[in-house]
Amino acid sequence: MQGNTGSARSSALGSRWQRRKKTLVAYSFIAPNFIGFAVFTLVPMIMAVVLAFLKWDGSWANPIEFVGLDNFARLLHDKKFNQALVNTVAYALITVPLTMASSLGLAILLNRKIFARNFFRTMMFFPYVASMVAVTAVWNMLFNPAMGPVNMILYALGVDKLPRWSADPNWIICMGTVILFSIWKYMGYFMIIYLAGLQGINPELYEAASLDGATGWQKFCNVTLPQLRPTTFFVTVMLTIQCFKVYDMFLMITNFGPGGRTRVLVSYIYDNAFVSRDFGYASAVSMVLFALVLLVTLVQYHGNSKLDG
Amino acid sequence: MKKTFKRVLTVFLAVMLVAGLGILPAYADEAVTLKWAVWDTNLTTYYQPLIDAYTAANPNVTIEMVDLGSSDYQNALITQLTGNADLDVVCVKDIPGYANLVKGGYLIPLNDVGVDTSVYGGTIEQITVDGSYYALPFRSDHWVIFYNKDAFDAAGVAYPTNDMTMAEYDALARAVTSGVGAEKVYGAHYHTWRSAVSLFSILDGKHTVVDGNYDFMKDTYELILAEQNDGICQDYGTLKATSTHYSGVFFNNQAAMLNMGTWFIPTQIDKIKSGESLSANWGIVKYPHPEGVPAGTTLGTITSVAVNAASKKQDAAIDFVKFVAGPEGASILAETGTFPAIKTAEVLDILAAQDGFPADENSKEALATVQVYLEMPMHDKAADIERVLNEAHDGIMTYAFTVDEGIAMMNEEVSAILG
Repeated sequence: MQGNTGSARSSALGSRWQRRKKTLVAYSFIAPNFIGFAVFTLVPMIMAVVLAFLKWDGSWANPIEFVGLDNFARLLHDKKFNQALVNTVAYALITVPLTMASSLGLAILLNRKIFARNFFRTMMFFPYVASMVAVTAVWNMLFNPAMGPVNMILYALGVDKLPRWSADPNWIICMGTVILFSIWKYMGYFMIIYLAGLQGINPELYEAASLDGATGWQKFCNVTLPQLRPTTFFVTVMLTIQCFKVYDMFLMITNFGPGGRTRVLVSYIYDNAFVSRDFGYASAVSMVLFALVLLVTLVQYHGNSKLDG
Repeated sequence: MKKTFKRVLTVFLAVMLVAGLGILPAYADEAVTLKWAVWDTNLTTYYQPLIDAYTAANPNVTIEMVDLGSSDYQNALITQLTGNADLDVVCVKDIPGYANLVKGGYLIPLNDVGVDTSVYGGTIEQITVDGSYYALPFRSDHWVIFYNKDAFDAAGVAYPTNDMTMAEYDALARAVTSGVGAEKVYGAHYHTWRSAVSLFSILDGKHTVVDGNYDFMKDTYELILAEQNDGICQDYGTLKATSTHYSGVFFNNQAAMLNMGTWFIPTQIDKIKSGESLSANWGIVKYPHPEGVPAGTTLGTITSVAVNAASKKQDAAIDFVKFVAGPEGASILAETGTFPAIKTAEVLDILAAQDGFPADENSKEALATVQVYLEMPMHDKAADIERVLNEAHDGIMTYAFTVDEGIAMMNEEVSAILG
């Protein structure tokens, strides 16, 4: 009896040890990745939150001052910050639906049995893989205000006042140049995602709809779109986040000009942190960007789960 | 017994190790390795000759270059220094960068190292902060007018001279402009930098770009915008959209005159030799100046060397800095076609005697200056001010703002920065 209890206890101990060992092994597999994440992402992120309440120029020789909410108060009266915020939000609001619509349209088109389908799929995907620097250079040449092919065509068509694209003082045109580029660059990628979604739809649903006498448009609205909802949710979230943190495209195409008209939040963070060396203020702007992305994602998530329920 | 022996051995080894470490610095005095933060090691011709000459005279010293890249040099440098990087000597690329380094306490003052500052043509005074200077200039370039003699000959217009007022220069640019389409030769070419246009306005010495009021820039902007509107120079927006480099424009005979720093001289000479530059018949003259200001008044930039405040080998570093920025360093720089900060008659002779330098007397004379204003004067808010001025410049030149709006923006925002 006693011996029995002893062996039971020791086996319980053994299994606990076994379990702990398993956990340790699992952690050891996660560790390399997690340590990297902690050092290069987690710690800097926490630092950025703390920095938003400090005034610091990045030098250890100078004092770090606690300024409370001053950095955030400054944001309220900062015209350039407002401009960057409006530009970023406007860019996202216009780019997200347009990119979604064009990638969905392409996906539906290239999901049909058309001639050289794979070739066209590859062609549409190509801008996404191409280097940003290289394709922006090509884009800038095409849209060169003086002798770019686009303006030459417009001139031949008899357009009087040719747009100056990335250098146009009109906000709609300089912003539009970047948005157009952005759609072209990313629609291939989201097209592939939509294609995967389309191919996951049960063909029987279309058959059933046909039997009920549904037209193509009705099938699209009542079968395709609802069936694609998980895909659309993913695409919206990814696109929105991507749009809010845009930087490289604007740097390469307009360089945030003319005269700061296409300033975006990330460029404003960079300027404040690394040109003006005002890390506290830059972190405050990043917090706004973070809150914005979080908010939009939460709203989208909420909307999606409501539809699910 | 065995245990005791082990313990004794461990202690003995530990003592030996600590003692050994203690001896190391004594040896280090013998051989010193200095780390020098620079940019573009593979494109810059003078680093290695400077190092070779110095180490030949000081065989115990080894200099290692740390290339931080050119485009983001100042940011990379300050990040390295904040992270306590093992750097002893640093190059300082521009004045806003210098101001940030001084503000952050990254550099040691060099007042007491025994350097004759009078040879630097007044630049030391322009980088002195509260009585101390933290860097010694070793390169110093000033702006001149490069011109294409063939373009002037073709247009039947006399060459520019070493004494031109802004009005004379403008008239010349207008007279020499010719052709249409691909054959067009623009009278003048302004690169997309702010300094290429707006700084004509500081040459009268009455204003600086850190004043906080920029009304004095109005005439200059209007003059250059008029040239742009009349097709005398290329359109800023197009140049920016296509990232056009000024050298290509001059090499391809598309501009009769180009205002640019003397750093372009070695490039032009090299590219003529390699056949890349088609404007082989060229010359330089002094920068145009406002009415009532002597010829030879121009803009300049300096590149300097400094010592990292956290360096453990400061004495050796100071010695190297004095060499690079001193007369010996100047001659070595001049031999490579680079403009040193110390411009003695001898240095100017070396520069003008380079193979490929224009043979006319005017070009040689253009190397001498009377008064050089730094593109950006020393100010602890220099980087912030520059940001505003660049943005306003971009707006004015692309017609996003009128000249008055741009100037109002500069006045308002810089005043806010100055507080």
